[in-house]
Amino acid sequence: MPDLWLYVKAMVSAAAVSALCVLATVVVRRKTDRSWLNTACVSGIGFGLAVGCGVLSLLPVWPPANGLDRFLTVLVPAVLSIELLAGIQRVPLSFLWALRIGLATAAPLILLYGSVYLSGFDNDWPLRRTSTVMAACSALLTGVWALLGRLAQRSPGVSIPFAVCLTTQCAGLTVMMAGYIKGGAAALLLVAVLLATIIAARLMARRFGEVAENCTLATLGVGVVSLFGVLFIGRFFGRLSTGSALIMLLAPLICWATELPQLRHRKPWVVGWLRITLVSVPLVFVLVEAKRDFVRDMAPLLGQGEPATIELTAQAGDRTAGSGEAAFP
Amino acid sequence: MFSVWVLTLVVGIAVCAGEQSAIAADEYDYDLVHSSVGFKARHLGISWIHGRFNDVSGKFSLDRQQPSKSTFKLTIKADSVDTANKARDEHLRQPDYFDTKQYPTIEFKSTSTKVIEGGYEVTGDFTMHGTTQKVTIVLMGGKEHDFKGTKRVAFSTELALKRSDYGFDKRAIGPIGDKALIFIDCEGVRK
Repeated sequence: MPDLWLYVKAMVSAAAVSALCVLATVVVRRKTDRSWLNTACVSGIGFGLAVGCGVLSLLPVWPPANGLDRFLTVLVPAVLSIELLAGIQRVPLSFLWALRIGLATAAPLILLYGSVYLSGFDNDWPLRRTSTVMAACSALLTGVWALLGRLAQRSPGVSIPFAVCLTTQCAGLTVMMAGYIKGGAAALLLVAVLLATIIAARLMARRFGEVAENCTLATLGVGVVSLFGVLFIGRFFGRLSTGSALIMLLAPLICWATELPQLRHRKPWVVGWLRITLVSVPLVFVLVEAKRDFVRDMAPLLGQGEPATIELTAQAGDRTAGSGEAAFP
Repeated sequence: MFSVWVLTLVVGIAVCAGEQSAIAADEYDYDLVHSSVGFKARHLGISWIHGRFNDVSGKFSLDRQQPSKSTFKLTIKADSVDTANKARDEHLRQPDYFDTKQYPTIEFKSTSTKVIEGGYEVTGDFTMHGTTQKVTIVLMGGKEHDFKGTKRVAFSTELALKRSDYGFDKRAIGPIGDKALIFIDCEGVRK
């Protein structure tokens, strides 16, 4: 059973460390620049996540043994490194996108490494099918990352990374309700550190002006890859359905709806709220579905469902011999 | 010329020794129909949950003359776990438990065998959830039985394991106890 208090403690610790890392830039350097702030944001996410994983005893082992370990030790550090480079003005944008596409291409392979999908152990997953699915997943990740990045440049604002965080939170809960508790817990930590970083960066926005928007871009990149990673391991190692995973991966793209001519020139806070509201709609459906499945499949295992009646037939005649509560995990 | 003769002699002796050893060791295949691998674990510390694995394979070779050369190998498909509750079985296949997509098999491979009264004491590598531990099991049985022209031999053993020793997350274990008891009753069919 998940310990709610432990998750709260881990999320608060992770968020506090992330926010402190970003806010420390104000104290350490009175005068700052884009690269410095970007470094603070990226390192804030990294340190916060490490602390959160430590509190939850989720610290991965090396070499990483399972999908979640590879997500936390390979994929997340890789995207943090890329976003760290993105803060350096001399690094060309084309090179950064080459790195991002490279990571998106490698991500499914990294996450599935050593599993039945690549070893050919599972007859349902011949290598050709696995390759096709991996290519499709890479294309989806690249597409979502590029489209949200483009939107963030075209119409900047924290609502886009907020929408990604909201979706990642929903993904974490859905993965947990599907029975993969550790996978969902990792998502909750990522959301905590991303939100803390975004809020801390916004607090400094007045001080650093438009520079804070660059931090938003960094958190967006980490957020998209995190969302993809959680959904991917939830789908391929857990019981998350393909439909739910796709809806959640594509949900943040609904933010593009505010680029319609009728909505585009509204006040920024209206556009922001509209984005969050629109993204929430499919997420609510996914959560309701996940809750329904949880109540049907998992709740009885946790002793929260209807007691199961066991009928036994005695030799002397039919009679109900007893009933037992199906309260096993 | 002399060296050729010596070499031939040495090779001949080696081949004969190998052949004799091969004759002495009887090879058996795990008979899924007449065997079972079951387990039980504590629930809330007051009762036991029982289950079994339905897909098991293995082989063992019994060297009656030199029992220490006998070998045992068992491979269990982790996703064949069956606790008579579909939802719970699905849950047990998840990454928080067996993680069957990452670790599809549970394996035992013997490394040394010792004869004891009524059976064998077998030490070997037990791999579960991607973690290998050295375990010693006592296999009782081993008498050969001829049934309709097919030679059969059977063994039984019980094994106690701590799931936390095999990388299972204690917090995900929940009300199920850390300790699990495994029961193996296997019948081998001589090749």
